[in-house]
Amino acid sequence: MRHFIAAYVSLVSRPFRTLLTMFGIVIGVAAIYAMISIGNGAKKMIIHSLDGINTRSIAITPIWTENKASRRTERRPFSEADIEEISRIEGVESVSGENSKEFSVAVPGADLKVGIDGSDAFYLRTKSMTLKLGRNLNETDLQSKALVAIIGSSVAQSLFGTNHPIGETVKIDKIPFTVIGVVEKHETNLSSRRDENKFVLIPRTTARARLMGGHASVKNHVEGITVIFEREQDFSRIEDDIEHLLRYTRGLLDSDKLNFRMFNFAAARNQMMQVQRVLSLLLGSIGTIILIVGGVGVMNIMLVNVTERTHEIGLRLSVGARRSDILWQFVIEAILLCGLAGIVGLGLGWGIIAVAEIIGEFKMDTGWSVAALAFGSSLFVGLIFGYLPARRASRLHPVEALRHE
Amino acid sequence: MNTPLIKTENLTKIYGRGAAEIRALDGVDFEIESGEFVAIIGASGSGKSTLMNMLGGLDRPDLGRMFIAGQDLGQMSNKALAKFRNETIGFVFQQFQLLPKKSARANVMLPLQYRRPRREDEKALAEQSLARVGMSDRIAHKPTELSGGQQQRVAIARALVDAPELLLADEPTGALDSKTSTDVMALLKKLNAQGITIVLITHDADIAAYATRIITMRDGKITADERTEKAP
Ligand SMILES: Nc1ncnc2c1ncn2[C@@H]1O[C@H](COP(=O)(O)OP(=O)(O)O)[C@@H](O)[C@H]1O
Ligand SMILES: [Mg+2]
Repeated sequence: MRHFIAAYVSLVSRPFRTLLTMFGIVIGVAAIYAMISIGNGAKKMIIHSLDGINTRSIAITPIWTENKASRRTERRPFSEADIEEISRIEGVESVSGENSKEFSVAVPGADLKVGIDGSDAFYLRTKSMTLKLGRNLNETDLQSKALVAIIGSSVAQSLFGTNHPIGETVKIDKIPFTVIGVVEKHETNLSSRRDENKFVLIPRTTARARLMGGHASVKNHVEGITVIFEREQDFSRIEDDIEHLLRYTRGLLDSDKLNFRMFNFAAARNQMMQVQRVLSLLLGSIGTIILIVGGVGVMNIMLVNVTERTHEIGLRLSVGARRSDILWQFVIEAILLCGLAGIVGLGLGWGIIAVAEIIGEFKMDTGWSVAALAFGSSLFVGLIFGYLPARRASRLHPVEALRHE
Repeated sequence: MNTPLIKTENLTKIYGRGAAEIRALDGVDFEIESGEFVAIIGASGSGKSTLMNMLGGLDRPDLGRMFIAGQDLGQMSNKALAKFRNETIGFVFQQFQLLPKKSARANVMLPLQYRRPRREDEKALAEQSLARVGMSDRIAHKPTELSGGQQQRVAIARALVDAPELLLADEPTGALDSKTSTDVMALLKKLNAQGITIVLITHDADIAAYATRIITMRDGKITADERTEKAP
């Protein structure tokens, strides 16, 4: 404690030099604190963005490609047979196919444009949705092209308000459907629709025959497939199997580009996390480099200090100071200098975080552990860069030191 | 007589090697009894300061041995030597060597900072010591607020704090005018009369006259050693 007071007095007796020396450490600590907080905040945001999303799913959609003659080919849909084949791949839990289009949905007194999803019994599961009322689609519905509908919670709210919708009739593109189910309100942070609860689910066969049909070519078509697999670690193997299968059914050569795309949330998340990690590492390194540069500044000024106070060191040795006393005196002075700078740096870093939160519109993660890490690193820099000058001070010969001018 | 306070045997210190070799001390033998007031005189470069640093445990001899207060300095570790300087020796320097930003009392307390174990009555000891040199009314003054003579008194108080066995003074009046020099020498004489052993370096015969014994040095050797029974 006494050492700290002595060191403090020594520092405040040279305020300008102390402040200048602190500058590098202040910036370094602020940078480390702010950057790790921002990095952690970004990580949390990425993880949070996938809440409510099944990470054991692959979404497959056809895409435009260019063929060899550089002519754009049609977006080629999948078929019912593809669904059959994919569901036989080992490790696949369920597969659902989907054809979607927007239609007007009406009850007496209310009319609404809603995305109609023509799908199957696995639709809800692949989207991690659950039924609130009624029943799910089944095989019979698909085979008989039944005029039944399951409605999202927003649709239920808009068309029926507080009334019980099950058994009621809704007209989709003027065709009457019976409501057999209502889906529980679902919340994710990542959705292709603006309101993910605003949809109507009907059998895919019905959709093809009654709403999106007419064209012979549309007979068997499926526009999107979602696959759920049993274990997350099987992802890449299953992805390979699906790619292999679809290449075959779509007649692609090995040299051809894929004319479909597979998307997995977990893989996407991992990719985002990877980017975030690299970014955090980069930002952290910048902070560390600034801190090291600051540390070199501290070392420099401590060396100047030792030289200027050679006389004092000689005197202290002559009245009975041990070499270790001198060593500690200067090490503590450097640590205190960096510690004070660390506190200021935390304040500055906190300010940067506050501004970044306003500009970046996301919540930073300013845990105590991050603050402690940033502050601790300033003390560490004090110890490391203060040691050499302190050692030099403690090695001075008392007679030479006293004679020094 | 009982064992002397200081005893040196063939004390030798060599600076430089080969052709440039300088024997700052060249086989010095002497004894000093407790309670003596010894002046060491000699021309500049005769080895006085080197001898003094040796006696104070600030430097080690290249050859020879010395015993102070029953301790063999040549055999002591750095730590033990620091303790020896702290407890047994009090130094007074020509340039006072006070810490400029500290009060007189804080300066006098400096040796106590390195006392192991720490004493609880540091302030009281420092004030007592300042009282002994007649500086009780300047306790809170900084060195810059004191005259040269007053600064040297504070330095003497620092050397005296908690009763060392030996006071070593290297030209303590070298930076003072003759009037103040006389005051400081009178103070040292008084302290010696109170029982403290003093070894003082000077090249001024008038100053040496305050001592009870005068050792003359030349080229690192003792050339004369005489006792003066002259009254102060
Ligand atoms: N650190 C040193 N390096 C080389 N020579 C030294 C050193 N210290 C003292 N000397 C030499 O030793 C001799 C004695 O010096 P010193 O004891 O200071 O004499 P005095 O105090 O009597 O003037 C001188 O010749 C001086 O040049
Ligand atoms: Mg000298």
